[in-house]
Amino acid sequence: MTPESKILRLAELQQALARFPPAAPLPERRWTSGWPALDEGGGLGLAMVTELCAAPAASALFLHEMLGAIQRRREFAALIDGGRTFDPGSHRGPALERLLWVACETPEQGVKTADLLLRDGNLPLVLFNLQALPPRSLGRIPANTWHRFQRLVEKSGTVFLVLTPQPIVEAARVRITLRGAWHLAALQRPRHELVAQLGVQIFHRGRQRVSTVEPLVQTA
Amino acid sequence: MSWFAAILLPQFPLQAALRLRPEAWAEPIAVVEGSTEKGHVLEVTDAAAASGVLRGMVSTQALARCPALRLWSRSAEQEQMLAALLVEMGCAFSSFVEATSAELCLLDLRQVKRGDWKGWAREVVARCAAVELRAQVGLAPNPDLAAIAAKHADPVLVVQHPGAFLADLAISEIDAPPELIAVLRDWGISHLGDLARLPRSELVERLGPAAGLLWERASGRLRRELRLVRPPETFVETFEFEAPIETTEPLLFILRRQLDQLTLRLREAYRVAGQMTLTILLEHRAANYERVFTIPAPTTDAEVLLRILHTHLESLRLEQQPVGVRLLIAPVVGEASQHQLFESALRDPNRFGETLARLAALVGAENVGVVEMEDTHRPDSFRVVAPQFEKLGVRDESAPEEHRALGLPLRRFRPPFPAQVHLQRHLPAQVFSEKAHGEIIDAAGPYRVSGQWWDRAAWAVEEWDVELSDGALYRLAKRVDSWFIEGCYHEGD
Repeated sequence: MTPESKILRLAELQQALARFPPAAPLPERRWTSGWPALDEGGGLGLAMVTELCAAPAASALFLHEMLGAIQRRREFAALIDGGRTFDPGSHRGPALERLLWVACETPEQGVKTADLLLRDGNLPLVLFNLQALPPRSLGRIPANTWHRFQRLVEKSGTVFLVLTPQPIVEAARVRITLRGAWHLAALQRPRHELVAQLGVQIFHRGRQRVSTVEPLVQTA
Repeated sequence: MSWFAAILLPQFPLQAALRLRPEAWAEPIAVVEGSTEKGHVLEVTDAAAASGVLRGMVSTQALARCPALRLWSRSAEQEQMLAALLVEMGCAFSSFVEATSAELCLLDLRQVKRGDWKGWAREVVARCAAVELRAQVGLAPNPDLAAIAAKHADPVLVVQHPGAFLADLAISEIDAPPELIAVLRDWGISHLGDLARLPRSELVERLGPAAGLLWERASGRLRRELRLVRPPETFVETFEFEAPIETTEPLLFILRRQLDQLTLRLREAYRVAGQMTLTILLEHRAANYERVFTIPAPTTDAEVLLRILHTHLESLRLEQQPVGVRLLIAPVVGEASQHQLFESALRDPNRFGETLARLAALVGAENVGVVEMEDTHRPDSFRVVAPQFEKLGVRDESAPEEHRALGLPLRRFRPPFPAQVHLQRHLPAQVFSEKAHGEIIDAAGPYRVSGQWWDRAAWAVEEWDVELSDGALYRLAKRVDSWFIEGCYHEGD
């Protein structure tokens, strides 16, 4: 067959393909948290790694919202608590019964724990809190770890959230940043008001920023 | 015609020793009474018998005949377990069972309607074989005759005509007073048929009532009721190793066989495993290792149960070498419940249980679980308990509590950082510590809490929430005369 005839056949093939419209991409499956600022911006995706970059106080408020969500949804979640800083007294309520708490001392322990929980696939939400661990130790987590976790959650459909002080998760499909600033008076205000005043930005990999809720710089 | 069956386990001590080692039947093995050095041979395998090893020999004599012979001590525990299993098998075929001896049980089949008794007996042998029992089954119109039939069965024997069956059997087949047998031998009567041909009344007149009883047995006419037993449902398997083991492989190999047997028996009893108790027998029996496993989703799947044990054994370190293993299963009735439409439960509770065991091995059992707050006002008082997600999944719950929490959640430092705090007009003014230091621009407190003042565990703490000049929010605590930074609400710039 001559090269010219090959080109001709390629053109015919392209014409034939033109009759079939491209398949619409499958809609992404979402895990609704009940927190409007998060859900309206696309929310948490099932079967993907999401990174939450925020100050510890904002992350703690986020965790509070997640506990409320699992209680409403009657689901279960795991919290991998790097540094053992989770204070159950600050999150009293029935949702604690639905939370598997795993306290880890080092990032290596945390990574192994996450690996076991994601392979297990029983819990629909796994939160991996790395904020209390020294930033230098976080840098030692190999980048391929996150890609491996992405493959694991694709199998199990788990919502996997990594809470970090700064972006470190290369494989994150979605990155959420939270902003807020507080004074002492904030400790006496209803928590839902503090949550409502958080500034939320959600970035999807390969897309424009899809959601921004501007923060109040001073919330209390 | 009414029928009785006898299930006999021949070579009982040998069966007890080799039950979970079927491949060992091909090897020259002898079970001895007493120590393996000086004991007497009780039972031998065919391979040992072929080398000239006989019952009753002293072990040294047996070894002289067969140098490759392996001598195993008799195990009372394994024999006891086998006897219980035999009765359990009997109960699977009749409601009226007598545990005549460890190796023999009798079944009353008068309530059983069946024509093909030979087929029935073969079925019993097959069911016994499934749990590694080598059984012989005899059927006859009365219990004692059935027991004799079982001894001569290969592996089944149905005695349709008792007189013809007994005629050629030696008198010693029947348990009778030895002096009576000696008299009969002097008379030239060596077979039961010869005895049955004598007139009963004259026999009783000359030899007493015991001779009458013997005559009835010899003619197959003795009728007696069984001493019925109703054994408790215990699902246990015990195994003793030939020598102490050093790795988990042989342990897992035997556990798998034990689980296969136990789950088969559970299925036959329409039960599922709700709890497993693993006992590893160590060289010094007083310090046996024991561990109880609750099965998250009760099952009869041997694979799932083995995974649970395997996960635990992976991280287990023992100070002594194991010499045996016992596995006890507590049966429960299988659940047949369905979750509500919008409730979610664990996809695979057993796998989750296994993952929890792995996590406990990784980070320590005290660091994995569900947090349960203690009934006290003491700060940071909670315990970690095993999750009960399955039970929670089907529990009807009220609507979640919302909008009740106040302020920012605390990020707690464990252990807290010691600090120096300078006061001005009884208010914290400056803090110095490894974690944070600086001027305090705002403070809320003191929040004084105390408890257990009535005993030695009395505690008291004074808490302050403070804001530093860099915007950071911390919780300070004063215990006795020492200050600590307990946690952080918000880190400063």
